[in-house]
Formats: sequence, structure tokens, C-alpha cells
Amino acid sequence: MNQAPVPPKDLNFKAIISRMWPFAAPSGGLFLTALILTPVATLISLAQPWLMKAAIEEHIEGVGAGAASEMGLDSLGKVAAAYLGAVALGYVVRSAYSIIISIAGQKTVLRLRSHVVKHLLSRSPSFFDKRPAGALLTRATSDIEALGESLSSGVVTILLDVLTIIGVLIAMFMLEWKMTLLLLAVAPPLALIIELCRRRLRQTYNTIRTSLSTVNAYLNEQVNGMEVVQLFNHQKGSHDGFMERNTVYKDATIRSNVYDALMYAAVDGIGSICIALMLWYATGRAEVGITAGLMVAFIDYLNRLFRPLREFSGKIAIIQRAGAALQKVTGLLDTDESIASGSKTLEQVKGEVVFEDVRFGYRPEPEYEVLKGVSLKVSPGEVVAIVGSTGCGKTTLTRLLSRCYEGYTGRITLDGVEIRELTLPTVRQAVARVRQDIQLFPDTVKFNVDLGNAKLDMAQLESAAELVNADRVIASLPDGWQHELTERGANVSVGQGQLLSFARTMAYDAPVVILDEATASVDPVTEALIQTAIERILERKTVLVIAHRLSTITAADRIVVMDAGRVVESGTHQELLAAEGHYAGLYHAGFDSDAAQASPAEA
Amino acid sequence: MTLLRFFKRYVVPLWHWYLAGLVFLFLTNWLAVEIPLRMAAGVDALGNDPEAVRTAAFTIGLMGLAVIAVRSLSRVLFFTPGRLVEFRLKNDIFGQLTKLQPSFYSKMKAGDIVSRVSNDMTFVRALVGFGGLQVFNVTLALAMTGRKMFQLNPKLTILTLLPIVIGLAFMQAGVFAMHRLTRLSQTQLSSLSDRILSLLQGVQTIQDFTAEAPFLRRFEEENLEFMGTNIRLAWIRSTILPMLGLAGSTCIYVLLIVGGPMAQRGELSVGQLVAFVTFIAQLLWPLMSLGWLVSVFQRGYTSLQRIDEVLYAVPERPEGETPESLASAPPSLHLKDLSFTYPGEDTPALQGITATLHSGQTIGIYGRTGSGKSTLLRVLTRTWNPPAGTIFVGETDILDLDLDAWRGNTAVAPQVPFLFSDSIAANVAMGPIDPARVDQATIKASLAEDLKALPEGLDTVVGERGIMLSGGQRQRTALARALYRPANLIVLDDVLSAVDQETEQRLIDTFAAIGKDGQQPTMLLVSHRMSALARTDHVLVLDEGKLVDQGTHSELLTRDGPYREAWASQHEDQAPAVQAEPEAVQ
Repeated sequence: MNQAPVPPKDLNFKAIISRMWPFAAPSGGLFLTALILTPVATLISLAQPWLMKAAIEEHIEGVGAGAASEMGLDSLGKVAAAYLGAVALGYVVRSAYSIIISIAGQKTVLRLRSHVVKHLLSRSPSFFDKRPAGALLTRATSDIEALGESLSSGVVTILLDVLTIIGVLIAMFMLEWKMTLLLLAVAPPLALIIELCRRRLRQTYNTIRTSLSTVNAYLNEQVNGMEVVQLFNHQKGSHDGFMERNTVYKDATIRSNVYDALMYAAVDGIGSICIALMLWYATGRAEVGITAGLMVAFIDYLNRLFRPLREFSGKIAIIQRAGAALQKVTGLLDTDESIASGSKTLEQVKGEVVFEDVRFGYRPEPEYEVLKGVSLKVSPGEVVAIVGSTGCGKTTLTRLLSRCYEGYTGRITLDGVEIRELTLPTVRQAVARVRQDIQLFPDTVKFNVDLGNAKLDMAQLESAAELVNADRVIASLPDGWQHELTERGANVSVGQGQLLSFARTMAYDAPVVILDEATASVDPVTEALIQTAIERILERKTVLVIAHRLSTITAADRIVVMDAGRVVESGTHQELLAAEGHYAGLYHAGFDSDAAQASPAEA
Repeated sequence: MTLLRFFKRYVVPLWHWYLAGLVFLFLTNWLAVEIPLRMAAGVDALGNDPEAVRTAAFTIGLMGLAVIAVRSLSRVLFFTPGRLVEFRLKNDIFGQLTKLQPSFYSKMKAGDIVSRVSNDMTFVRALVGFGGLQVFNVTLALAMTGRKMFQLNPKLTILTLLPIVIGLAFMQAGVFAMHRLTRLSQTQLSSLSDRILSLLQGVQTIQDFTAEAPFLRRFEEENLEFMGTNIRLAWIRSTILPMLGLAGSTCIYVLLIVGGPMAQRGELSVGQLVAFVTFIAQLLWPLMSLGWLVSVFQRGYTSLQRIDEVLYAVPERPEGETPESLASAPPSLHLKDLSFTYPGEDTPALQGITATLHSGQTIGIYGRTGSGKSTLLRVLTRTWNPPAGTIFVGETDILDLDLDAWRGNTAVAPQVPFLFSDSIAANVAMGPIDPARVDQATIKASLAEDLKALPEGLDTVVGERGIMLSGGQRQRTALARALYRPANLIVLDDVLSAVDQETEQRLIDTFAAIGKDGQQPTMLLVSHRMSALARTDHVLVLDEGKLVDQGTHSELLTRDGPYREAWASQHEDQAPAVQAEPEAVQ
């Protein structure tokens, strides 16, 4: 949603096909069948007016036996039956064609969506930092839907349309080429009107789309902030803002009505003009034998010619939407912001972590450097607490260890091996991270703890939960392990969510744990449970903890104090207090506001 | 009722559009009958009366041109009021939304509202645009074309139209099935979207725990289900919907085998037979739309009801016809046994609070999370209306005060700051921007320094379409918003929670200085920070919705309770003040 609306370039048929082909290829057979059915459907559809002409000309007007009679259709009944047969067959073939193409299109969309989602799941955090989840969701849903629509109703029927137009023209020329030429004289003005309307419509549709999304975004925001709007008596300004945006939308929609109606009516009116031309042509040439049957056939052919022309604009719009959607989707697929995986693996991770003169910035300019040469060694089994004020780089340091970002200088090693040389799964299975913002999924509690890992049995899950007091949380939920959490775990409290995430970490059983202590306030009972849980984690793992709780800090083997991207002090709680340096200052200030809030009962 | 009210309010005022539309629709249908008739005359005259043929050709040509104009106009005239109804309805809904209060928004979420305003609106528009056009169009087409056919040959008319009637029945069934499946497919799509969104929001955890595979598996299941529904939809679309076209062609067959012999016998001219072919083609489309019309009305009606739930929701304005206006002075507030329970909750958020907040004082409010602090502020600002007779402003029940006047006197910085996608200046001013005052407010709120680092200073656009401010910056922007407007009551809800020590100290000084140069406003300051509370005149201590203690900061420190505990935890190592008053230690 961040980027400006992409001006829909005329991404054509060809571009769509070539970009979509890898996803369509597995359904190649279906597409091929549809392709083969296309000329069949066209031929059958061309036969119908011809049979109608034969019936009227040879059997009703009594012009005399003609081509149809020679083919054995020598009575009205027979010709009519042949006509009905062609109609029925045409229906069957067209339906089959349409179903086949829809199934192939849907399967293509299925594959594309899977691919996009897989692609997203392997992107690095920096990728997500820049893109709001909402916009990515649009890529994976609406944009792909638009592509699917273009496959099943736009692009592919256009092929049928084009064939039909060519076929109709050939048939008309064969029947009466001079009259056909005369009728084609109306084609240029018709094409002009249609093209003109089409262009205008394309512009207005763009305006409609963007203005509608502006209206909806504004509405959504104002509704969310309505309390503020009202508290500050801003209702009128807010309403005016809405009407302003709504007016842009309304004006565009009304403009589109005009072009839409004109295009629709032009085709209709020109049909009548064609009839006039035919009659006029017939007057001077009684000798060429313009029969009623021929006229009926021509009217029918003209309808078959005009219908695709009329629907063309709609289909073009679909293709344009698809083109714009495709641009966005491929733009997403073309970004390669993933973390490069190394090739080494570790057999048994002991959990020694060493940072050596690590420098890193989220942006390349030196003034944005966040870590300015951090060296730190964590021995297996050791608990190191990192403290420091907001922005000192402690979170960044731990993020580098879990391979969230590339591009640091210096070395970070795990059991002596630079983590960039290790495969991603190796690092991630060795290092578990408990994030400050607990991520829960709308699924069962069990799934939230084991994250779908089938290798974990119930006993393992239960012991992990018990260790970190999450068993009590689970027992308190109506369906226990099978309890369904709602979106982002809205139906459990923050504290319960933390305990569940601890259980998740213990079940995952990585030797190294990065614990980013959450600072949200919880009730005293849960707070006590969390504290014991943390103590137990600290006892069992190699832990790098970004600590806010005094109890966690004092329980650490060593405290590392960071300031402005550097390690400034290191030692035990008592040593550091005695030193009366940075740590002592932080300690007296209550570390930070959140910690004070989180543990009012601590003193 | 719903429909009647809707038509009276939105459709009737646009009657002239519809009337003009009707005139042109009539002309369109008239031409649609006349053209085939002229054609019939022309065809019958072929070869024996060239003059008649030429006249017919000329007339038809002119009529063809007329069709372009007339049909365009009829569509424009019917579709435009549809858009106008949409426009006005949306404006009115938004106007209503600005009047509705949290009691409404707690029941209807933003997403739901947006969906009503955008999705449901589509169906209402279809009802008044497409629906309106088709009702008249079908009626006119049947009345004019159908009647002419019947005049020409009743037997042939009935027999040829029979297949259309049968096709229509099939199509109607298909349309219903399609709607059922479309709804299913929409539900599945939204559930699929939710799943993808939860993947995106949890992507860090999924990667950290190398859990990609199980998550993808679950996603694939839903992806497949959704495809299944879409394929079923495609079946209907490909088999049932084209049946009407099939029916139309069958009509031609009937026309040939029934009408052919009639023409041979001379009961019908060949030209008339040809005209019949055209008539059938003309009736096909309006009749086809009949299949959609039923559902257009059904869905339009349902959507209208959903829209009405917003449009006619009653705002909570208990002040009555003649609300009391407010004296322009810092109010004193009297809470009398104030209790408040949120709708749908069992436990009261506030319970039996009695206190007096004196005019011009700064009152601190302390309590743990969930103790009712924010609720207390909400009922004082009448974001939620308190029960009658529980809060008095001076002598007047707060409920009798004119709401807009009361809020005009009050400046609030809420706990969770909300910024709009607009410039910082606009966010601070919330109305006409006075640059000098905006500057002042940002300086007071300690935001000025941050502004220098932003690309366009005060004009920097924030929020979803602009720059993301940090939590602390957002909080201080909301604070500047509250300090921008002159107010007799200033309400600051936990505005120090995301600022560093230095800024905190500066802000506390700012608060203490507010109004010192003129009339001192009444100020309510919710905070956890002892340093801030120490500077207030009076502190209320809340716990579990009850007022457990009140007094000055130093009084409260002499008493056991949550306040002293909190103070102690923030000043653990320092000699607590209680030591100076040994009698209070027990």
C-alpha cells in the first residue's frame, strides 16, 4: 500500500503468457485440449447461420435447391434438424471448452499462489521491514485472483473471439463478397468509437479503482480513529475529507457510465445501419439474388461479429487489471531479499557463541552504524544478560545471531564456525529465539507449541509446557491442548501467550536461546509464573537474554552493558554496581520504564 | 419499511433522472420494434418494389443512428442516479459514523463497517441502477416487442417463446446455485486470506523455528478447497448460464419448422418471418437479465438492511433537547459513587468511586494495568457515558452538558496514540492549522527536536502512507495535539510511558508550567512515574476499579499500599522517604 499506484502499462497477452507459463505448464494438456476445441467451436458456430439461410432460401422462399439440398438436406425438416444439431453440438463444445479452460486456469492460480506464499516465507526480515503485511496479502490474494480471472475469462476467450471474427468474415465473403465489403465500410467508424471509448474507459477505470481504494482507506482510518476525531470535535473536518474523496470517485464513475453506454449502444445502432446497407445494396441488384435467407444469415453473422467486439473492452479491462497485478506479483517474485544459506552443518551443537568486532548498520552509510565493533563470548551453558537503553543495539546483536540480517563485518561464530558458512536450518535449529512480541497463530494450542513438528510427541510437549508453567495455562483453557486460539492469540492474555511461547521454545530444544524479555505488564500471579519459567530456562540453556527484569539480570552469569553500539561494561551484578558506572546508573533509574511497570511487586 | 424509507430518502429525489430515462427507454424499445418491421417490409418488397426497399433502407439507417443516441441516453440516465445514490448514501453513512460513539464501535468493527460501505454498497447500486433499468426494460420489451409479435402471429409467438421460458427456469436455478457457491468461495477466500496474513505476521517465528513445511501444508489445504469451489462455479458458468443462448437458438428452430410451413402457405410473409428472428434476439437479452433480477433485488435488500444498521444506529446523546452549556472556567469534578461496566462484561471496570477534583488542580491517577484508570478518563471525557447522577461538573450532571461544548473544553492525550495519515501539523491541529501554535505545542511536547530529523519537519506525512514514527514520537505527537488547543480540562493518559528519562523530566516540567501564565486548567495525569506524580496536587490510587486511597504524594507515601510499593520499587536502593516517618513503617 506504500507504493504509488502502478500506472497500468499495456502489459500484453504475450507478457502475461510468458510470465505465467511456468505455472500453467503442468496443465499444458488441458490448455492444449482447449486450444484444439477452439477451431471446432468456431466452425460449428459458423455453420448455424449458413443452415438458417439454406432453410429459408431453399425451402421457404422457394428459390430452389442449393448447396444444402445437394448435401442431402432436401426438406425443411431435415435442414432445421441439422440446424438444431449444430446448435446442440455447439453448446456442448463451448461448455467443454469453457470448463477445461477454467480448470486449467484455476490450477495455474493455485500453483502461482503457492509459489508466492513459499517465496514470502523465505524472505529475510529486512524484506518485511519495508513492506506492510497488508500489501503483501493483496499480492497473494486479490492480485492473483485478477490473474486467474484473466486466464479463465479474459485472455483465453479472446483467442476464440479472434478466430470467430476471422471465420465470420471468411464466411461472409464466400456468401456475397461485394456486400461484405460494403458492410465493412461501417467497421472503421465503429472501431473508432469503440477504441475511443475504450481509451477513455481505461483511464476512468484507473481513477475509479484508485479513488475507491482512497475512499475505503480513509474510511477505515477515520473509523479507527473516531474516538480522537470526536474528542477533538473534528467531525466536520473528517466528514468533509470523506466527501472530497467520495466526490472524486463519484465523478469518475459517472464518466465511465457515459463511455460504457456509448460503446454498448454504438454496436447496437450500427447493426441496424448494416441492415439498411444490405437492403440498399439489394435494390439495385435484383439480378444478384439477395434473398431473405441471405439477409438473415448476414444479420446472424454480423451479431456474431459484433458480440466479441462489444465484449472486447471488458476483456481488455480484465487483461489490463491482470497486467497490473502481474507486474506487482512478479515485482515481488523478482526481489531476492533472502538470507544466503551456507553449506556447512554441525553435528552436535555445544552452544559456544562468539562475536568478534561485529559492525553493522541497517543502512550502508557509516552514520547509520548500529553496532560499532562488538566483541562478546558466550560459553556453552552460560547465561549472558545484555542491558542498555533503547537503541543501544542489543536487539540488533541478537538478530544477527539468528541470521535475520546479512551484511555485518567481523565474525559471529557458533562452536567456532562462522554462522554465514552454516546452512540456515543448522543455525536456526541451534538458536531459538523468544521474541518480545509473541507471535501466536489462529490454530490449536498444540500447533502453537509444536508448530506442526510431527516429531514431537505429546509427552515431550507436556514436559516442555510443565517446565515453563505453561501447563497451567493450557489446563485453564476450555479445550486444553486442542483449544483454538483466535487471530494473534487474542483469546489468551499477554502473560499466557508468553508462557506458551516459552513452551514452544523448550519443545524446540535448541541448545542456544535468545530471550528478548517482553515488557508488557501482566498480573502478579502470571508475573510470578513467568519469572520461575525464565529461571528454569536460564538453568538449562546457553542463553543470551535481553533483560528487563531485575530477577533475570541478577540470575545471569554475566551482565554485558551496551551503549551506542558498543559493549561498555561487563561483569556480575555486584561487580558492576560496585563499579558505579553505566550499569549502576541504569539500575538506579529502574532500567527502563517498562521494567518498572512490569514488576511493581518486585521490591 | 427498509425499502420504503430508502426509496423515499434516496431514490425519489432523483425522480427526474428516472423519468427522463424512462422516456428514452421507451424510444429505444419503440425503435427496437420498428426497425424489424421496416426490415420485413423491405425484404417483402425485394425484387418487386425497389422504391419501397430504398425507403425502408433509408428509414432503418436513420433509426440505427437514433438507436445510438437513444440507447446511450437511456443507460446513462438510469445508471447515473445509481451512482448518485451511492455517493449520497456513503456521505450520509460517514456523517452518521462521526456521530456514533464507542458503544457502537465496540459492537461493529472497522473492517465490518468498511465492508458494508464498499461491498454492500455495490449491491445497493445494482438495485437502483441495473435493477431499475431492467425492470422497466423487461416490461417495455415484453409490452412492445412481445405485443407486436403476438399481433403478427399469436400461435407462432407462443410456440417460439416456449424454449426461452424453459431456458429461463434452468438459468434461474443456475443463478441461485451460483450465488450460493459465490458466497462459499468468498468465505473461503477470506479464510485463506486470514491464513496468509497470519503466516506473514508470524513469519519471523516460522523461520526461527524452521516450521515452514507444516505451515505451508495447512495453507495448501485451504488453497485446494478454494480452488474446488471455483471449479464448481466454473461448471455452472459453463453449462447452465449458456443455456439461455441455447434456448434462443432452439426458438429459431421452432420458428423454422412452424413458421416455415406457415410462410409456404402464405399465412406469414417471408419478411415477417425474418422480423421474428430479430424479435427473438431482442427479447432474449431482457429476459436473460430477468434471471439476475431476482437476485439483484434479494442481495440489494439484504445489503440495504446491513447498511441501515449503520445509517440508522442511534448515537448516545443523553443531554436531551436543551443541553446545558458550560461556563468557561476550569471545571471542578465531583464523582459520586461512580460505577461503570462495559456492555457485555460481567465485572465492573469502576466501582463506587467518590472523589472531588478541584478546579485548577493537577490530579495524578495511579494504578496498575487494568485498575480502571483509562476507564475513569473515558467516562470523564464522555467517550463512554457514565450512569446518570455519578459525575458532576460543578453542579451540573455531566450527562446534561452539551457534548460538543464539553469536548471543546477538554484536551486529551490518550494512552494509545492514534495518528492519521496526514502531516504532523494536521495531526497536531486537528482542524485549521495555526503554524505558530503548532510550533509552540511541539516544543512543549518535546517533539521539536525529533521534527528536525524528519524529511519535511511538520509537513512530514505520517502513518500508513508516510513515515513511521517511533512509539515515543507518536505519543508526543498526540501530546502536542492535546497541548495545541486551549482547554480548561487537560487529560493525559500515561503519556510518559515511552519516553526516556531526560524527556520525561522535561515533560514533567512542562506539565507543571501549564497555565501558570494565565488561568490554571484542571489537569488529570495518569502515570506510573513517581517523579511525575510527586509534582501533582492530589493523587487518586485505583486498584481493581476501586478508589483505594487518595491524598497528596507525600501523604500517600506514609501509608501502606500499592502506591508506596510502587514508589519503593522505583527507588529501591535509595533511602525511602518512609524512613523519615518511622511511625508509618509498620
